[in-house]
Formats: sequence, structure tokens, C-alpha cells
Amino acid sequence: MTALVDRAILAAGLGPIAEARRTGDLARVQQASVALGALDACDLLALGALADRIRKEEVGDVVRIFTRGAPLPGADVVVLSAEDANGSSSRGTLLRRVAFARITGPLRARIVVDWASVGLELAQVALGFGASELSGPVVTRRGLPIAEDRTQKVKGAGLVSSQLLKKRELAVLVGIAGREAVFDDGTDERHAIAEEGTALEHS
Amino acid sequence: MSTLESIATKVRAGERLGFEEGVALFQHPDLLAVGQLANLVRERLHGDRAYFNRNMRLEVTNVCVASCLFCSFAKLEEGSPGARTMKLEEAWRELEVRMSDPPSEIHIVNGLHPGLPFSYYEELLAGFKRIKPDVHMKCFTAVEIHFFAQHYGMSHEEVLTRLMRAGLGSLPGGGAEIFHDEVRSRISSDKATADEYLEVHRTAHRLGLRTNATMLYGHIETFEHRVDHLLRLRALQDETHGLQAFIPLAFHPDGNGMKNLPAPTAVDDLRTLAVSRLLLDNVEHLKAYWVSMTPKIAQMGLLFGADDIDGTIVHETIYSAAGSTSPSGLGYDELVRLIREAGRIPVERDTLYRVVREHAREALPEAAFKVRDRKAEKHLVLL
Repeated sequence: MTALVDRAILAAGLGPIAEARRTGDLARVQQASVALGALDACDLLALGALADRIRKEEVGDVVRIFTRGAPLPGADVVVLSAEDANGSSSRGTLLRRVAFARITGPLRARIVVDWASVGLELAQVALGFGASELSGPVVTRRGLPIAEDRTQKVKGAGLVSSQLLKKRELAVLVGIAGREAVFDDGTDERHAIAEEGTALEHS
Repeated sequence: MSTLESIATKVRAGERLGFEEGVALFQHPDLLAVGQLANLVRERLHGDRAYFNRNMRLEVTNVCVASCLFCSFAKLEEGSPGARTMKLEEAWRELEVRMSDPPSEIHIVNGLHPGLPFSYYEELLAGFKRIKPDVHMKCFTAVEIHFFAQHYGMSHEEVLTRLMRAGLGSLPGGGAEIFHDEVRSRISSDKATADEYLEVHRTAHRLGLRTNATMLYGHIETFEHRVDHLLRLRALQDETHGLQAFIPLAFHPDGNGMKNLPAPTAVDDLRTLAVSRLLLDNVEHLKAYWVSMTPKIAQMGLLFGADDIDGTIVHETIYSAAGSTSPSGLGYDELVRLIREAGRIPVERDTLYRVVREHAREALPEAAFKVRDRKAEKHLVLL
């Protein structure tokens, strides 16, 4: 995080919230948020920068990806979907909700974004606004399910599972957002994004 | 002082950024920091205003002699499957049926058809003007203008002058792709070169036309190629001051010669907008073209340097042929809502950025409330 971002966070009036969060004092975080008008009018990029900093400090750079159902919402699990993007009357973007959840939520909260409803594009951007996990089915870009036994011919690699290719595409997407993907679908597969994934995508 | 800090100091002072700084911005890991800087410039130029217009896209022919690797739209020959050329009456009909809620601009981009007479294009424009005399005709990319010049044996100036006489109002920015020859020679070797593209724009500006410019990113080019492209446009603008908007276009891979490549991701879309805003200090407007990057990411683009989201479009076929999941048109109220929810002030403009209507900052349009309520109702029923 750069001094430039530090200044933007302070300029947006988020300094007291950042400080309260750093000390783990959630009651003070809530008080400061209320004082700032529930963060609704706050500069979204500054809000995102603060949420991203908190995410990095509390849960690190790994993004867990759930392809067989999202984790159930709970005390420390917040699952955000398209309804969260559409349900507010003003500036109600999903990204603001994600950042808000990270900043005011429990310490080390799991903020999950459902790509099936918000789209992969927005889900990827949400990773920079405090999200730590993604969930959604492995489907084609047009939303059709990919059968487990479906394969595709890949130059230099022969027949490769279409599901695996799609998962690598997801891993590359996460990598481009500066994070590391770990699949939570029974395989706990950790992709070497820069080498294997990208090479395969480009072959 | 870090690279980003030194760039920030220059941006705050209104100083021009160079090649190395452009590359550093593309490479910087902190997207939001780059976005903050671009937003600073964007708000310095336009405050909270975000522009859009009522426009209509039309592609009268997809027959094209060029074989660009990234194109899913063109068909090489008349008569081949999917090849289509509109009769003039068919094209004009597209406007006639929309006269109850007419567009202020018709945006026409075509394949390079070898079998049509030049009079087809002149008559095409004149016909639209007969139907709606005040409609702005933003037609034919620099690549098309260059093709016309070669194919019909005229200079760029003669082609443009004849088309202006028929009603041409400005040029769209398509066909720029990536200027650098390492890329251009591989993806679109048989159409106007970078210098020819720039020369057409130079001539158009001299004749008093305003033009837009584009960059097709996210395929085989490097960040260095992108920066080179942006700086060539900046140099042209220093010379002519005729570019009114820059539009980064995201590559879409479906059904074309580069289908094995992944499409650029949203992070790349937003970063490209931001760096474009920072490097193109002499081009007033930066467009987040919603067809290319989806409405949701275009909306976010309004916070990463863009001040324009394009228009209603009505009927887009080039990106949809390449697998874009964006709709082929957006309603007026939907554009207003997209802009408002990004915290910006929607401003309807004409093609030349004259204000048609400035909307209020807050309060959603009634239609948006209806859509939202309908969705909420449906959701409750499902529960």
C-alpha cells in the first residue's frame, strides 16, 4: 500500500475507522462508521483501498474458490450476490457492500462473492475491495454447465478436462487481481498461476 | 520516493507523463492507487459529470477484404454464409422505425466491401439526412476512409470532402487496433497501417471534422505496445487538437483467429482506462464503452478515469459476434441509472459533446424503482 493510498483514505475521512479497525476495536469502528453516515457517501475508491488493506492484514492474499456451493452465511461469513448490488437506493454497488462488509464486519471475516449472480468481471474487481472468497459453478461463459467428462484439445497438452481449463481460467483471473487461488472443492488444488495456468491459456 | 509517488507528484502538478511512467502504471500492483490518480484527473476535467447520448449503431455490410485475426464480424465474400449487405432502403428503414424516439447520432461502421460503388455510401448518408436532417452521422473508420481512397482512386481529402457533402459529421475511432508494427503486422496486416490511420485523422481534422480514436487491447500486445499507441495518439492531438474522445476496446475472443486467447479481465479493463486517462492529457474525453466491457464494469470505469459511457446503441453486432455478453442496446433510463449509481451526474450530450440535458444528481428514475420493486417482489415469492 502506498502513501498515495494512505492520503486518499485520510482525505475520505476514513482515518478514525482505519485506526479503530487496526486495534481490533469493532465498537469504535461502528461508531466511526455511523459518524461518517454509514459510509454511503464516502469515496468508493478510498473505501475499497481501506477494505483491501484490512483484508490483506487479516486474511492474506489467498482466495478460496468454491465451485460446489457457497459456504453458508454465518457470524463470520458474509456471502454477497446480485441482490446486494441492486437492493440499495443510491450508490448501491456491490463493491461498496463488499468494502462495507470488510470494514465493519468481524475480524478475519470471510467475505464471499457469488460470481454466478454478479458476473466474473465484477467478482474479480471485488477482490480489490475486500472480498476474500469466490463461489459459483464451473460453467461456460454463456452459463451452460460443463460436464465432468468433457475434454478439449489443447495444443501441446493433448486432451484436457474442460472443467480443469475453466478452473485454470478462474485461477488466472484471480492471479491478475494479484492474489492466489485455492480451490475448495475437495481437491484443495493450488495453481501455479504464472507458469502453468497462463501457459495453458495461451497455448 | 516510489515511482507511483513521483508520478502522482507530476499528475498533481499537471505535468506530462512519459513512456516509462506509462509502463510503470500498467505494471503497478495497486489498481486502486492508479485509479485514484486517474480519478483526480477525470474530476479536474469534468467534475462529477458523466456523458452519454442517444445513438444508433448500424453495420450496413459485413463483407470485408481484410482478414484481421481479432474479427468475428467480417465475411470475406459476398454470398458466403452469414455475409450480408443492406440495401439502402433497408438501412434507412432502421432510422424510420425509430422516429418516435429518434437517435441524435447514427454510428456506422462496416466491412471493406470491394463490390459497392462509392455512390452507395454517399447516398446512404444523404438518405439518413433526408429522413432526419439534424441527425449527426458519425460514420466510417479511418480504415474505411483509407480503403475508399485506394479502391476508388481518390485522396483521403477527396473521400472525406465528398462524404461531408453527403452529410458526414465526424469519424468514429475504430480500426486503430494496436499501432506498433510488431503487433499490427500479425493481427491486421492487410488494411491501413498505423501511419495511414493517423494520416486520415490528420486530414479529417484539417477539414474541420472531429474524430474519436480507439485501442484494441488484451490480445498479443504488451504494455509497452499500449503505451506506444497512446503516445502516438497524444502526439497527433498535440498537432491537430481534433480528437474528442479516446475509447479503449477490450478484445473478445469468440469466433475469431485468436480464439485461444483469454479475454482481458475486468481488472485490465479498469487499469487500461486509468492509464489512458493519465497519459492522454490532451484528449478531453475518455469513454468506458459498455458494449466492450459490460455495463457493470463500464459503470466502475466512471471512477477510474472515464467520463463517458457511450449511448443507447440500439443495435450492436460486432462485439456480439465476438462473444460479448453485453446487451445489444441499453435504455435511456438504464444509462441514467448506471451513471447515478456510480455517484456521477448523468449528462446527455450530442456527438460533439454539447449538453442536451443535465440530469439531477440523485434520485433514481421512476423506471429503475419499478425494475427494482419487481425484482424484490419476485424474490419474495421465491422465498
